[in-house]
Amino acid sequence: MKADHADTHHPHLDLGLLVSHAAGQPVSERVREHLARCEQCRREANRWNLVADGVRGLAAAAPETAQPVRRQNSRRRVPRPLRHGIELVGVAAALLVLFLGAGELAGFVHVHLSTSSTGQGTALIAVTGCSQVEQADGTLEQVNGSSLVIKGVTGQTVTVRTTATTFLSMSGALPSEITDGASVTVRGSRSDGTIQADSITVGQPSSAVSLPGSAPVQGTVADASSSGFTLVTSGGTRIPVSTSSSTLVVIPHATPGQLQAGGSIVAVGNAGSDGTLAARAVAALYQFGSGPRLAASFRVRDCSARSIDDALGAISAMPWG
Amino acid sequence: VNDPHRDSGAPTFTASHDRACDDPGLLTRIGQGDEDAMAAFYREHGRVVFAQVLLVTGERLLAEEIVQDTMLAVWRAAGSFRGESSVRSWVIAIARRQTRDRLRGRRLRVVDDAFLADQPGSGPGPEAMALDRAELAEVRGAIRELAPAHREVLGLAFGSGLSLPEVADVLEIPVGTVKSRLSAARTALNRVLDEKGKSR
Repeated sequence: MKADHADTHHPHLDLGLLVSHAAGQPVSERVREHLARCEQCRREANRWNLVADGVRGLAAAAPETAQPVRRQNSRRRVPRPLRHGIELVGVAAALLVLFLGAGELAGFVHVHLSTSSTGQGTALIAVTGCSQVEQADGTLEQVNGSSLVIKGVTGQTVTVRTTATTFLSMSGALPSEITDGASVTVRGSRSDGTIQADSITVGQPSSAVSLPGSAPVQGTVADASSSGFTLVTSGGTRIPVSTSSSTLVVIPHATPGQLQAGGSIVAVGNAGSDGTLAARAVAALYQFGSGPRLAASFRVRDCSARSIDDALGAISAMPWG
Repeated sequence: VNDPHRDSGAPTFTASHDRACDDPGLLTRIGQGDEDAMAAFYREHGRVVFAQVLLVTGERLLAEEIVQDTMLAVWRAAGSFRGESSVRSWVIAIARRQTRDRLRGRRLRVVDDAFLADQPGSGPGPEAMALDRAELAEVRGAIRELAPAHREVLGLAFGSGLSLPEVADVLEIPVGTVKSRLSAARTALNRVLDEKGKSR
């Protein structure tokens, strides 16, 4: 099978496609469908994924490069722009190390989103490095009480069971969730007394969802409209907040009833013998616009429940699209 | 999406994301002496280049020096970038030459073991892959024990955000040879894992 032209006469994916898939390069839906059908190719893909994760894990564990080079007997002087660069990359690298977390890396949750479909082609796929932990991703087909039905790219569905302890978050372009009286945390830039919101957390924040941006401001929503609202702080101060189509709205503690069919969704948990997934954490993602296909891998530190929550929380904090 | 200011969970972006900021215009500005552009370039590529060099050399101090030399070369040669390759593969190719020069000076050979690196391995067949039983931490440890040429091709293919043709350009070998080298690297990795498994 060559590049993105699936050859139905050739039984298996070639090495180039397997490597591209493991490297996160775009591959066609037909390749994904082939992976879903062909156990041998799926096994090969899993092996290459593990190799790729190993390399990525080493790269993630690489120490920061911020320290000045301790070169002996060097007559060369680092030009000021480069010193500037080293200082800045030091900051970036330090942040990277911080959010990658210290200590050993256990595994990765791989997420692939596209405008047409999501998922990696199988109903349930293993979370790399965490035995017993599996993930399902795709489109939310329906909500039945506390159960969710996720449809993968090949049309296979998996039922995901949630409980009161399941970490269930939703995020994305969700302006309708900002209503009068809602408790929110706003991050963004200030201009003429107005906060231009980059992200808004609705309801109780979660330590698993760490959003970027300047110091957050908490309060209650008043005068909500399509272009913004007034944030009323606990002290009674009223701050105008303007929102846009790119404002990321995150609900860290959502309920199954809030989820809307058709959105992208990722669930991680333990597979039952009946083929369902008992979810530890679920992230429902409502993408902005019709962006390009996106793929990212999220580390799972130690396969613990908390670590899985953190990985799904990081997924929720991404402005996909 | 590229903003890295996040807590745990650690998104590790795959190639499609890394390439979003692969901006030749940055090199044009660097060529004109724009300090901010150099800083942005370092932010964009410095860590990936460092990780790749560290993977090949295995020595942090040496890797830091090579990255510094690489960035110096970028600062001086940015104006000569002709856009015939991606910015990422261009800077990694510079880093590779710097690495090769350094290791050659220490009488270590990276390039010359490429011949052996491309030879088919005599490891176990696909049905007996130690990789199937390995945990991620074991795989990371085993990668560190591979020959430099194997570590290099794995790093370029999976850690640098380069496509296979770009990996081929950096290594100055045909795409088919990249594939055979990757295959040989995985066979060697499987062998290391298998030996570690037997010794336990």
